[in-house]
Amino acid sequence: MQETTVVVIGGGATGVGVFRDLCMRGVKTVLLEQRDLAYGTSSRFHGLLHSGGRYAVKDAESAKECIEENMILRRVAKHCVEETEGFFVRLPGDPEDFEPKWVAACHQVGINATPLSVAEALRLEPQMTEKALAVYRVPDSAIDGFRLVWQNVMSARKYGGQVRTYTEVVGIEHQNGQVTGVKVRNTLTGQTDSIACDYVVNAAGSWVDQITEMAGIPVNVKPDRGVLIAFNHRFTSRVVNRLRPASDGDIFVPHGSITILGTTSSPADRPDDTVPSAREVMNLLDIGEATFEDVKKYRILRVFAGTRPLYSADPNASGRAASRNFTILDHRKEGLQGLASIVGGKFTTYRLMAEKMADFVCAQLGVKTECRTAQEPLIEEPSAQLVEKAREYFPAYSLERAVSRLGTRLEPVLERMKNSEGKNQLVCECEMVTLAEIEEVSADPTSYSLEDVRRKTRMGMGTCQGAFCGFRSVGTAVLNDLGHGKGAPELLQDFLQARWNGIRPALWANQLREAELMRGIYDGTLNINGAIHDEGI
Amino acid sequence: MREYDVIVVGGGLAGLIAAAGAAGRNKKVLMLTKGAGTLAIGGGSVDLLGYVGEGRPLASPEQGLTELPDTHPYSKIGRAGIQAALDYFKTVCRQEGYEYIGSPEKNYWVPTAAGTLKPTCLIPKTMDTAPLKAAEKIFVAGFHRLKDYYPQIVVQGLAKIPVYAKKEFSVVWLDTGMHEGRDITALEVARWLDTEAGRRSCAEQLKKALPPGAVVIVPPVLGTKPSYAVAEELEKTGGYRLVESTGLPPAIIGLRLRNLWLNFAKKSGVTVVENAAVTGSVVENGRCIAIKTGNLDRERTYRAQSFVLTTGGFFGGGLGSQPGRATEAVFDLPVAAPANPEEWGAPQLFGTRQPFAQIGIVADGRMAPVDAAGQPILSNVFVAGRNLAGYDFSFEKSGNGVAIVTGYQASLSV
Repeated sequence: MQETTVVVIGGGATGVGVFRDLCMRGVKTVLLEQRDLAYGTSSRFHGLLHSGGRYAVKDAESAKECIEENMILRRVAKHCVEETEGFFVRLPGDPEDFEPKWVAACHQVGINATPLSVAEALRLEPQMTEKALAVYRVPDSAIDGFRLVWQNVMSARKYGGQVRTYTEVVGIEHQNGQVTGVKVRNTLTGQTDSIACDYVVNAAGSWVDQITEMAGIPVNVKPDRGVLIAFNHRFTSRVVNRLRPASDGDIFVPHGSITILGTTSSPADRPDDTVPSAREVMNLLDIGEATFEDVKKYRILRVFAGTRPLYSADPNASGRAASRNFTILDHRKEGLQGLASIVGGKFTTYRLMAEKMADFVCAQLGVKTECRTAQEPLIEEPSAQLVEKAREYFPAYSLERAVSRLGTRLEPVLERMKNSEGKNQLVCECEMVTLAEIEEVSADPTSYSLEDVRRKTRMGMGTCQGAFCGFRSVGTAVLNDLGHGKGAPELLQDFLQARWNGIRPALWANQLREAELMRGIYDGTLNINGAIHDEGI
Repeated sequence: MREYDVIVVGGGLAGLIAAAGAAGRNKKVLMLTKGAGTLAIGGGSVDLLGYVGEGRPLASPEQGLTELPDTHPYSKIGRAGIQAALDYFKTVCRQEGYEYIGSPEKNYWVPTAAGTLKPTCLIPKTMDTAPLKAAEKIFVAGFHRLKDYYPQIVVQGLAKIPVYAKKEFSVVWLDTGMHEGRDITALEVARWLDTEAGRRSCAEQLKKALPPGAVVIVPPVLGTKPSYAVAEELEKTGGYRLVESTGLPPAIIGLRLRNLWLNFAKKSGVTVVENAAVTGSVVENGRCIAIKTGNLDRERTYRAQSFVLTTGGFFGGGLGSQPGRATEAVFDLPVAAPANPEEWGAPQLFGTRQPFAQIGIVADGRMAPVDAAGQPILSNVFVAGRNLAGYDFSFEKSGNGVAIVTGYQASLSV
């Protein structure tokens, strides 16, 4: 039986944050994730590193936390953050009296909100509507959720942390009111075992209550669904928010070569209720059209949804009215020592949440080491010498991106290129991912499928949505026995089905063109669905 | 202004067959094309019908034809019309020096780059599976840096298929000599084999790697021209049999087929205007009298007695769409589609018919577009290929088959 001091449940931003923080303080910690890292909400949001402007009027405390964390993450997670800045734009029909309130509130909490002329704003963002009435710049930024989670894990491992993905908790073990461990099940093999520990941190996000219920403790977390649209190109270089009380569909965030529009807010039945409907997509486009008038003409790459874990002590509160502040629930209150849950919060403040949670755990364990996550960068920079050497092997245009994804892990990727001719081929041309990088990531013990590789490399997340690189990466998967018994057709089906889930709710215009092409190739030409017993030769 | 008997809009397989077929019947034909059609995407084997019902595989396409609903293009044309079209196709291919084999009585199950088998009906001789059937040992060749073809995938997949399971497989690597960071596609390998130096190098490598008489599955790269010369030259160096599989685009066998039919159409007197931006048509009293194009220089009007629309589906650009509505731009023909966009896609991507795939223009047995009451909308306009409603080429494996059969029917109707 595996033994550790702390088990952290949940491989999203909060969980990996707590995991890394504890590992850095020398606490022996195991991270458990029921699916893949960042599978849940941490990859299903618009990737906005809030300046806090959105919360300034209604929730000053949240806004303050946001601006402080925003500045910290620009330093320590610089490869995950693109410092885009943001606009708050008031449009005709937006309440006029909100503007002065918002300006005062930003000033109050220390968010630098500077007015600029509409003409200047349009010069900077020419696709934006000319109907804008007032524009302010704020220090919003874009942040890559997949990468942030993965780099936290890479760092935690360096401090001795262990990660088990596709491992769900099926029981909390306790004796005499003290937690003694967790019972887990590998969702791929079905095997169960137990992990003995002194403390369990429940950072399962929208699944938090499912964990506590195993110990008979209710927690009032409501999954709240948000739908988002990823567009095929970067039509804004800045985050663009509506200057009005927070509402559906009024934030645009640029990411690399794409733009994300979000989001909605509606109560969800289940935390994994993440399939959007065409109706929701059209509603979002209707709202987004006010800020970017041509938005309906832009090609949609995919649509997706996530659930926010909204926590409320008042069982009747829900939706945007519930507090976005986070809370640590010490379950000693319910008579169980050694279990705490962290609920609520937001991606931007994940590090702060993790710090507070780790402080809390360390106090109980008698660990005195201070938190260093606000100072120490997530990944070490590769040496200039290594980058120079890599330049000889990498396709020139892909190196910078590879460095930002890999950090010092650039070295083993480079070794693969040196050892074998042809490993510097680009498998994913949209996101510029080389064969060597995919092989390196495929060989990681947390990679079980192409989807897992995709989340770590961005392979398949660009314009072709896997139509071309999907096949190439299957070649790599077959060579690395990544399929765990699955052959190329099954791997391709899984991968393309996941892409399809994001295209189906927006099946018109260019999305439909791409879908007809993709299906023509994989079903029509390659017959990947053909049963192997269909016929002989 | 020249006046034509027939104008074909679209230059894919359906358009080429319609144009060549009409020219063969002494019509003065103009073909307006934009791009190369989807032959170089989908490939050159003629899928007639591989699956019916909920996905039951067919040993014989012919048997499946009787099970299709009345709304299917094949049902509208009927068995005799299908046979006539396939006969025409095969006759021209043979006459042009690139013979196709097969008949509607049986499907070939050809190996794919994904390690599966795919049912198809008419194939070039280099896709014949008979040598594979006979061999005890099969070699699978890959090319260095050809990133869209992995021989290991083919081996791994075929080894799981009962009829191949007892055979011995071996991977062979070939090298085009294109190095230094260059990624290559099937088209570059095929062009390399078009050259004498390329064939010589390839033959030498085959000699080193293979015993005499070896049977080898290769990617579809045996030259870009509609000819068996490349295959024959390589095969004779060691008595080999080279069998081409299907692969990702660019689809070289489809390119060969396009070259063949484009040459044949031109030879038959078809006037081809490439890169024509068709902007619409002129309709008077239920008849089309002209097609308008709007290229950069000026607007042009092309007049004719009758017209064939073969501009393709959503991918090809012949059908457009917005949420819950599909459109056709040249004649503004009605396109039947679910009004609710939630109903355009089935949740499961594979293993089922997709509603969007069957969206298209409804036509009668002459390939004339008809309204909801079954009445022709324009008396001298006909439609062929993926513009048509009522079939799912990916699921059924019927793409080039419907293109040929409906294209040929349109050539008879004009």
